[in-house]
Amino acid sequence: MSEKKYWKSFGELNLTESYVKDTESEFREELPTEGADGNGLLDGKTPRRDFLKYLGFSTAAATLAASCEMPVRKVIPYLNKPENMVPGVADYYATTFTSGGDTISIVAKVRDGRPIKLEGNELSPITKGGTSARVQASILDLYDTARLRYPVQMNQGVPQQVTSLEAFDKLVMDSMAGQQGIIVLLTPTITSVTTKQVIADCLSKYQGSRHVQYDADSFSGMLQANEASYGHRAIPSYHFDEAKVIVSLGADFLGTWLSPIEYSRQYVQGRKIDEKAPAMNRHYQFESMLSLTGSNADERVSHKPSETAAVALALLAALGGSTNAPALPEKLKAGVAKAAKDLKKNRGKALVVSGSNNVHVQTIVNAINEAVGANGTTITWDALNLTRQGIDADFTMLVSDMNAGKVSTLLLVDVNPVYDHPASKQFKAGLAKVKTTVSFSGRLDETTEQCKYVLPSPHFLERWGDAEAKTGHISLQQPVIAPLFLTRPFEDSLLIWSGNKSTYDDLFKTYWTTKLGSQEGYEKALQDGVIERVSATAPITSASTAYSAAFVTAAVSELSSLKKGGKYELVIYQQVSMGVGAQSNNPWLLELPDPITRATWDNFAMVSPNFIKEQYGLDLNDRNQADNFESHPERQVVKLKANGFETSIPVMAVPGMPDGVFAIAVGYGRQSADANNTGNYIGRAAVDAGKNVFPFAWNNGTTIEWMVTDVSMEKTDDVYKVAQVQIHGSYEGRTSVIKELTLADFEKAPNEIMEDREKEAAKFGGLENYEKEGTLYPYYDKPGIHWGMSIDLNSCVGCGACVVACHAENNVSIVGKNEVLRYHDMHWMRIDRYFTGNLADADSIQTVFQPMLCQHCDNAPCENVCPVSATNHSSEGMNQMVYNRCIGTRYCANNCPFKVRRFNWEDYTGADSFPNNQDEKGVGELNDAVLMMNDDLTRMVLNPDVTVRSRGVMEKCSFCAQRLQDGKLKAKKENRVLEDSDIKTSCQQSCPTEAIVFGNINNSKSAISKSRMGNEHRLYHVLEELHVLPNITYLAKVRNPESEAKEKV
Amino acid sequence: MASLKYESQARAPLVSGDKSYHQISEDIVRPIENRPSKLWWIGFLIAIALLCFGIFSVTREVIYGTGQWNLNKTIGWAWDITNFVWWIGIGHAGTLISAILLLFRQQWRTGVNRAAEAMTIFAVMCAGQFPIWHMGRVWMAFFTLPYPNTRGPLWPNFNSPLLWDVFAISTYFTVSLLFWYCGLLPDLATIRDRAKLKWRKFFYGMASFGWSGSTKHWQRHEALSLVLAGLSTPLVLSVHTIVSFDFATSVVPGWHTTIFPPYFVAGAVFSGFAMVQSLLIITRKVLKLEEYITLEHIDVMNKIIVLTGSIVGIAYLTELFIAWYGQNQYENFAFMQNRANILSPYGWAYYIMMGCNVISPQIFWFRKLRRNLTVTFFMSVIVNIGMWFERFVIIVTSVYREYIPSGWSTYYTPTIWEIGFYLGTFGLFFTCYFLFAKFFPVIAVAEIKHILKKAGENYKEKMGPEEAETNEKFAHEFAHAH
Repeated sequence: MSEKKYWKSFGELNLTESYVKDTESEFREELPTEGADGNGLLDGKTPRRDFLKYLGFSTAAATLAASCEMPVRKVIPYLNKPENMVPGVADYYATTFTSGGDTISIVAKVRDGRPIKLEGNELSPITKGGTSARVQASILDLYDTARLRYPVQMNQGVPQQVTSLEAFDKLVMDSMAGQQGIIVLLTPTITSVTTKQVIADCLSKYQGSRHVQYDADSFSGMLQANEASYGHRAIPSYHFDEAKVIVSLGADFLGTWLSPIEYSRQYVQGRKIDEKAPAMNRHYQFESMLSLTGSNADERVSHKPSETAAVALALLAALGGSTNAPALPEKLKAGVAKAAKDLKKNRGKALVVSGSNNVHVQTIVNAINEAVGANGTTITWDALNLTRQGIDADFTMLVSDMNAGKVSTLLLVDVNPVYDHPASKQFKAGLAKVKTTVSFSGRLDETTEQCKYVLPSPHFLERWGDAEAKTGHISLQQPVIAPLFLTRPFEDSLLIWSGNKSTYDDLFKTYWTTKLGSQEGYEKALQDGVIERVSATAPITSASTAYSAAFVTAAVSELSSLKKGGKYELVIYQQVSMGVGAQSNNPWLLELPDPITRATWDNFAMVSPNFIKEQYGLDLNDRNQADNFESHPERQVVKLKANGFETSIPVMAVPGMPDGVFAIAVGYGRQSADANNTGNYIGRAAVDAGKNVFPFAWNNGTTIEWMVTDVSMEKTDDVYKVAQVQIHGSYEGRTSVIKELTLADFEKAPNEIMEDREKEAAKFGGLENYEKEGTLYPYYDKPGIHWGMSIDLNSCVGCGACVVACHAENNVSIVGKNEVLRYHDMHWMRIDRYFTGNLADADSIQTVFQPMLCQHCDNAPCENVCPVSATNHSSEGMNQMVYNRCIGTRYCANNCPFKVRRFNWEDYTGADSFPNNQDEKGVGELNDAVLMMNDDLTRMVLNPDVTVRSRGVMEKCSFCAQRLQDGKLKAKKENRVLEDSDIKTSCQQSCPTEAIVFGNINNSKSAISKSRMGNEHRLYHVLEELHVLPNITYLAKVRNPESEAKEKV
Repeated sequence: MASLKYESQARAPLVSGDKSYHQISEDIVRPIENRPSKLWWIGFLIAIALLCFGIFSVTREVIYGTGQWNLNKTIGWAWDITNFVWWIGIGHAGTLISAILLLFRQQWRTGVNRAAEAMTIFAVMCAGQFPIWHMGRVWMAFFTLPYPNTRGPLWPNFNSPLLWDVFAISTYFTVSLLFWYCGLLPDLATIRDRAKLKWRKFFYGMASFGWSGSTKHWQRHEALSLVLAGLSTPLVLSVHTIVSFDFATSVVPGWHTTIFPPYFVAGAVFSGFAMVQSLLIITRKVLKLEEYITLEHIDVMNKIIVLTGSIVGIAYLTELFIAWYGQNQYENFAFMQNRANILSPYGWAYYIMMGCNVISPQIFWFRKLRRNLTVTFFMSVIVNIGMWFERFVIIVTSVYREYIPSGWSTYYTPTIWEIGFYLGTFGLFFTCYFLFAKFFPVIAVAEIKHILKKAGENYKEKMGPEEAETNEKFAHEFAHAH
């Protein structure tokens, strides 16, 4: 390339002197950017660069100052990522819920190392995947802030931390050394084979030591009666599904009696309606309160507690037993006669159960069951129910031994007799006389704080174990999270203290590997969570259970001589939520409304409306008086006194309660010896939640009875606010909300409901065209997936498992009593309860439960009123809520006919943009329980797939959108059509009776489509006439009362 | 022929006293130029105190959440929207007086229109507070505005009556403000011209936009007034119609009613006039303007009150009739149980509404009572209490017990902070009104002068001999002359 030179002028070409000079001073003056003072820009007061700096700094500073301060949270990734663990993908482990004697097979969902949800284990033949409210809520107990975090030594009632387990072992062993007295291990019913083995091995090393099983809700009466009648101190299997006629004498078998999940499922099997051949069992309930079970009964007869025995005797007499019918009120007599007639007619297909803990009553019930041919048909001995083994007399003897100074060491495992036994005072006194008292309770409960040494036991999700709810049905427990605190299973302590070298975990593994034959078998069993037909206990052969009527005569004479009841009588009972109070620091359970009264956070005395009329002159039959009464939360307080115990408690008028009877739930009123400690020791949510009424129970000489036949009542001027989530009890004859009919009517006119619906839709061309013709707007096809749900009112027993399951799955907040009182509860899923019948006549009252949640209307009234489209419709038929978009006008909630939308009135979750705004005083003051739910520990229970809502936004049921997404992705990954098994909403999964069916209605093979097609006669939409087009259908409730059946004949 | 005469002998003059043009300027502008009275200071400070309480109440609500109010899962709106509709209703009289009466050439309006328009603007400002602060997340309120945005763009939902509200109210406010200000221009110029202080000259000079009183200015002013009157006339009807759509287009029994638009408009005019009465009776007394706001004005407005009150009454009865005749069990329950049943939890509110709105205004059939200031003042307060209860009854007693009985609500009473918010809007209203009365002419000076020739008392003195004759005499002479 040639070296060309380009030039602009000759000067440049020649580089003349003048050119060089000129170019050097081309710009003679400074660029005209100088400041006014004549200096250069950079010399000015605020030169350009400085100006830009200032601008930049001030903008940045303003931005920083104005923006929210973000707390720094460290995320530490796995150094060595565990195999098979993908962050964000949930793992599921089969394990077992245990509480007292209750054992339920479950599957724990674990996200990134922390369990967040429990589901029923569908492989369990007992529950078939069903759960209860308490099981669902127990995940929260794992993260309970009041759990004891390390072993302590109690010093004058003050817990002092013991730094290590070794130090603790030494303390206890030193204390036990050289003792003369006996060692007693006090536990609830133990269903674990391996634990029993450990106990037996260890106690055998100490002479005279013994193991006492103690159940707060004792079945001692039944166990002892069965021993008398059948020669076995055992509880047989009940088969409610085999029974055509079920008579329950006060047994709340759908709610709290023995094995409610199992029984609910069986019971409902006999009540699911096949439209082609409708048939269902008939359920008689004789009871002295209104229980969950009673509210499901076809025929319900209420009576006084003092008449319990007489009813059993009368029934036996009516069935031809060798006894005379005692004198009973006419109505009761008629009820007994009706039940007896039905039982007789259905010999071999009948079942009678009793909730009494009186040996003699249970003996009579055994005689009745023999008379109706239940033994061997609806009652079998092949698989015994092992969940209640405690004998009251054993405990009573223990108390007297303790007081006599015979016991030198008492080891208490998850029992709380100071709280839940009527002889609490004696027990407490006895405890003081025992030299070494060790509690293995998870918290410093009433009993534990009286012990000298406390070694907290792990939560059931943190430990190995097994449980045999029924003989031959084993459920395995495996830890799904490393113990959060310094805890140790009591089995390990026993092993160490008795000088055994091996740990419980090793024993457990060895036992089951041996039993199952191989490591593979063991691993398979762990994976399944349940083992079948590997019996640990020898089964009872039918030959050995021959019935003996020897004790009936004695029982009859005992029962006939019972004294008559007083003016007022009292029963104490368990609520489905709280049970005996083992989970009483669980806000999910405290805020779960009682199914009957729909009250939360408290217990109360249920009384008949007549009581309110007599005592306070309030006629609840009068619409105006009733409406004014119910719309205020203040309830009158009465003072009740019996068995040397006195308490003040608010009364709640409940239709269906017999006159002159108070019914109060146990499980409330937890309190430490020093009431100020309750929040720290038992839990912040339990503070001031109700009253303890266990002391009303009494020992009849052999067993503890939960009914008091004479109680004195005194009115007070006090009122107490009871927080209900539903105040109105009647559905006002609004048949488009609730449809119910009798079996006889249904058989006679199965089309009735459909015809009514057709008539309603007639002017729009019938039901078929209603969707299109009922509106001015154009009709759109709904291709692809269209979600739908069907709820069978006949299957729903109202247990509330779905409500808590929804809380757990969807991070539904707890609002506390103060806020429930203001009608601010957040339940996405609720179970509405309606009464029908005459208030003055307890037996005429019928109850219906209706699970109510967002109906996901295809023509949703909430959607068009939102000014910002924060709630809108998905292409899959879901009504969805966009929390980020919501500005909180609440118009959607006003316009929702079902009232299922819930607004975040306050900062319940701590997720608000305003920091520190949970501390308001006066209006809107939040309960401590709400703040407890926002503790970092408690927050570990939150489902990371679901947004935690901040205050000011609306929320409601999402059909578990996160689960649907998960299921769709699963199907997509496997390149197949979505199946029913891919998706279960949380409520559906938890339901023990399969009342909820969910799926894609555009798939004609899905369960939901089949359910709708197979039940078209009972199917209806709530408030169908509004043309909101809900995607939830209900199946009408069918009752099977005896009187109606007679008409048919 | 007598009908050709200017002066109606059946009507009293609209401006009494022997007023000259100068005297009118003196009377109306004097209070602006003088120092405020002690009474003004007391009133103003009370208003400021109320406003501060309101601001505190709202601050608490914004920080802690809507839970500071006793709304609940069933009752999503109560005092907030009640107060909103109430204030909006009050804000109706001003535009009605200025626009519709202008178009109908009702000259009596000149005595009261300025104050009524100001009241409208302040009432709409108060009303606007409620839909804004009732939001759960008020800092996101701008989501309701349709503007191209970076969120998609994501638009508001044009189906929602709440969005219609946003447009209706902002339009109404803008037009009312313009109309009011347009009328103020000549008066501001008058004050400017009279001003002696420098700041006053400057302030009113700026505010009057260089008004010179030229014929061209007057011509444009008249034209603009007419155009704005034409614009606001449909607004008077549409704003409350759209507010009523918040309820009428819903599915809530008791809200879902086709009668709402006319019924709401009538109610709004009713309460608006009552508020005008309350304010003017005090204003004319305090500012000594009895000769401009005469008993004649009071009388005419009371007639409107009894008319609209009766329309509202008929609407109530129609609702009841339809609730019975329609045989819709939910609607029937909402009207017969929630409202008409006096023993039901909120029955009392319904009868307060009925008593205040329908029965009590009927006393205005009597001329004597219409022209009695004490009675009128008392009644105007009663009517506004009644109209507040009307909105409360419509909103709360409809939603608190509707379709699903399980959702029926506990008894609702407001918290101190809900009451505080309401009182705060009174504070805002009166703060504005006191400032208005101090700095602006409460009567349209130019317009009063405009009608003086035709309706002033002094006009009689300057009548020609023919005009002064009685009708009979005039007719007689006229007949003879031809």
